[in-house]
Amino acid sequence: MSQVTRPTVAPPAPWHFPAATTHDLPNGLHLVTYDVPGQYVVSVRLAVPVPLDSEPTLREGVGTIMARTLDEGTETCTAEEFARLLERKGVGYGAGVSDAGLSLDLDVVKGNLEPALDLLRQILTEPVFREAEVARHVRSRLAEIEQERSIGANRSMLEFVRTFYAPTDRSSRPTGGSPETVSTITRDDVAAHYRQHVTASGSTLVVAGDLGGLDVPALVDAALADWPSGPARARFIERSATHANHRSRVVLVDRPGAVQSDFLVGAPGPDRSAPGGWAPYPVLAYVLGGSPTARLDAVLREEKGYTYGTRSSFRPKRGGGSFLTFGSVRADVTAESIGIIVDILEGGRDGFSEKEVRAGVDYIAKTAPGRFATADAIADEAVGMAMDGRTTAFTTANLHDLVTVDRDRVTDAYERFTRLAGVGSGARGAGWTIVVVGDASQHREPLEALGLGEVTVVTDD
Amino acid sequence: MTAISYPLAETTLANGLRVVVSEDHTVPNVAVNLWVDVGSRHESPGRTGFAHLFEHLMFQGSRNVASGEHFSALMEQGARLNATTWFDRTNYFETVPTGALHLALWLEADRHGHLLDALTQENLDNQRDVVKEEKRQRYDNMPYGSALIDVYAAAFPEGHPYHHPTIGSMDDLDAATLDDVHAFFRAHYGPNNTVLTLVGDLTPEEGFAAAKTYFGPLPAIELQRRERLPQLEPLATPVRVDRAGDVPNDRLYVAFRMPVDATPDYLAASIAVDVVAGLASSRLMRRLVRTDETATSVGGWTMGLVDGVGLGAITADVAEGADPDEVEAAICDELTRFIDEGPDEAELESVVADTERSWLSALASIEERADHISHHALLTGDPAYVNTFVDRLRAITADEVRAAAAVWLVPSSRAVVRYLARDEAEVAA
Repeated sequence: MSQVTRPTVAPPAPWHFPAATTHDLPNGLHLVTYDVPGQYVVSVRLAVPVPLDSEPTLREGVGTIMARTLDEGTETCTAEEFARLLERKGVGYGAGVSDAGLSLDLDVVKGNLEPALDLLRQILTEPVFREAEVARHVRSRLAEIEQERSIGANRSMLEFVRTFYAPTDRSSRPTGGSPETVSTITRDDVAAHYRQHVTASGSTLVVAGDLGGLDVPALVDAALADWPSGPARARFIERSATHANHRSRVVLVDRPGAVQSDFLVGAPGPDRSAPGGWAPYPVLAYVLGGSPTARLDAVLREEKGYTYGTRSSFRPKRGGGSFLTFGSVRADVTAESIGIIVDILEGGRDGFSEKEVRAGVDYIAKTAPGRFATADAIADEAVGMAMDGRTTAFTTANLHDLVTVDRDRVTDAYERFTRLAGVGSGARGAGWTIVVVGDASQHREPLEALGLGEVTVVTDD
Repeated sequence: MTAISYPLAETTLANGLRVVVSEDHTVPNVAVNLWVDVGSRHESPGRTGFAHLFEHLMFQGSRNVASGEHFSALMEQGARLNATTWFDRTNYFETVPTGALHLALWLEADRHGHLLDALTQENLDNQRDVVKEEKRQRYDNMPYGSALIDVYAAAFPEGHPYHHPTIGSMDDLDAATLDDVHAFFRAHYGPNNTVLTLVGDLTPEEGFAAAKTYFGPLPAIELQRRERLPQLEPLATPVRVDRAGDVPNDRLYVAFRMPVDATPDYLAASIAVDVVAGLASSRLMRRLVRTDETATSVGGWTMGLVDGVGLGAITADVAEGADPDEVEAAICDELTRFIDEGPDEAELESVVADTERSWLSALASIEERADHISHHALLTGDPAYVNTFVDRLRAITADEVRAAAAVWLVPSSRAVVRYLARDEAEVAA
């Protein structure tokens, strides 16, 4: 059989994020639209800058309960009827809360955008928060907390934020509240939170999809011009992280008999305003733990077969961020794997090869057109940028900067990250917050023997 | 009528490879998607999990490609790629910048034609370990992680191709040998057992020519295929499985055998499941979650399969303090009522609107579009199904939905799997 020669690859043409058009409503709502031909399902995303720390301490989670009950009925409609109204127009709807604010998502076929926007108007301006619906969502959230705690990966994140952030920082506690706070939330708490925060000023509405033949600004004016403005406020929440004084340590959440251990190894990371640019950081994460051939999985998965896969990523917030490496490993190699992970992550001090850096740059840059091809991906990126105080001009500028990233810039980024995080400053493991969810009776002593810092065992009820 | 229709062009190479091209120049990318007609339904006893383990080995090198190079060579060109294995098929895919299409096809042809040249005991042992960790991560160490495995075993008889899960068993994974891998490759991996779909920034002529260049030299294999099994009847009597364990709350899976994928009966039965439990405004959502408050969530889904049966299920998370027996009785009660009444107009309208939006959302990305095209080209022989599905669904009448429910969703034909929180189970015992 004749051998077919390995083909060469033609470089892709330069690419930019789809162009945005903006429109401001008198009530302060800022509209951003993206016309993406061929995307027949239109994605609507609304960001309302509601700070997480505006929740009363004893009612943490009230924002989440509010988000989930906004569509649970109006003066003229029961919750059931409203669910049916959304469904008959084929509207996919969801709402949630993060430390960047409240967000509402609607996806709808192009022909139903107008009725979908009217349903959004009702959600924003006419919710009644009936006692029964709020109480039901409180009970659902309490059940959800138990479910979240039962999943190793989620449990490790809950323990991580508790260890990583100072107790005074809201980020140290679950976004959706804890059983103690959620169980006390009443419809009056929810209604008060709604009245105070769900207003147009400072809010951003993104509409992306095949908008040909639609006058989206007119449709949005018609639907949302009467949404009350509320007090003036910024479009994003300015905040910074306060880390725990004693965050550099190992916490072992006991799961007797677990056949795997979930882990999360993290440290403070940059935000998108980092000196030297944001672009080198995703490259760094890619080289360390962003693919099956990255440094971590080359050893843990492909050489040793200890894991189905691990991942590293920088998670920027408006102020500060984090660098997280997470996954799960076979129980009997837990401590060995944690040692390998820390050594690989700290091994960045020995530098990066041009080939590694180029692979990371190329992957992130060249996947961009495909990653941002659909209406929902475009709208998600746009609303994420808005909540970060940016626009998708940042996305394009960052991609253009990305292709200039070389070994020196990645090395500088690594050096800056480790210096600020206190990684590599002293003993092995210094600067990292390490959480392991696994069998404490098996792993405590081997983890202590690694010398990565104090090991604390946490036991769930 | 659904206004949207994606263009489709098909050809079959001399060696039997079916090629489907759907041209779409909106993004300078091409989705490359291969479906091989082998899944866990083709596995023999004692060799469960093998199709999936084999899929892992497809990333460990082939005649002209080093171990891991498939990933690295494509990713550095901006490809997003992976592979999946399921009951009916194994799927390999990458979305690449247009300029990397030929490289992707060259790499795929090398492993689909010449995998065995690079296979080693070391690779097999390594990926066996990786697959075991995948099983532990997704099933063994996950609350309710094994529930669907129990559902398959309860709903389908011993020896049926869908009785065992795709992930297989630890013992069978341990038993896999290099000889098994060789035999499996020779029996199933050939152009005449594969569909190649290309969606995106290319013309059909370009796609067909590229497919021929790289896959044309691969020889057809000798296929020994049995006929698909005849339709399995609904269960004659209820089947029950109870698991007591470390789960946060009681959860019920009330499952039913279904007609085979893409048939009018399957669509009608799937509408029934949506109306009863799948929609946000479903009957069980209204009754169990909103009115009785005996469940915190309810779901309903169907799984289209080709080998003589499909699967449908209603799931419910039982609220704290509520009785799982009562929840199950309410589910049966609503099914009986539905079989009596059928859906109303608003319910049918909701299913169609909801399905249309989610279907068009799925087709919005070239990679998912390619996947659905491959699916139907391989398993139902009709890639144009992507363009006609919503209209087919819309054509189903309320009477047909009611009639399908009366056959397939009769409570006495249910298979019930219950995961019960340990405290309660101990009290009950």
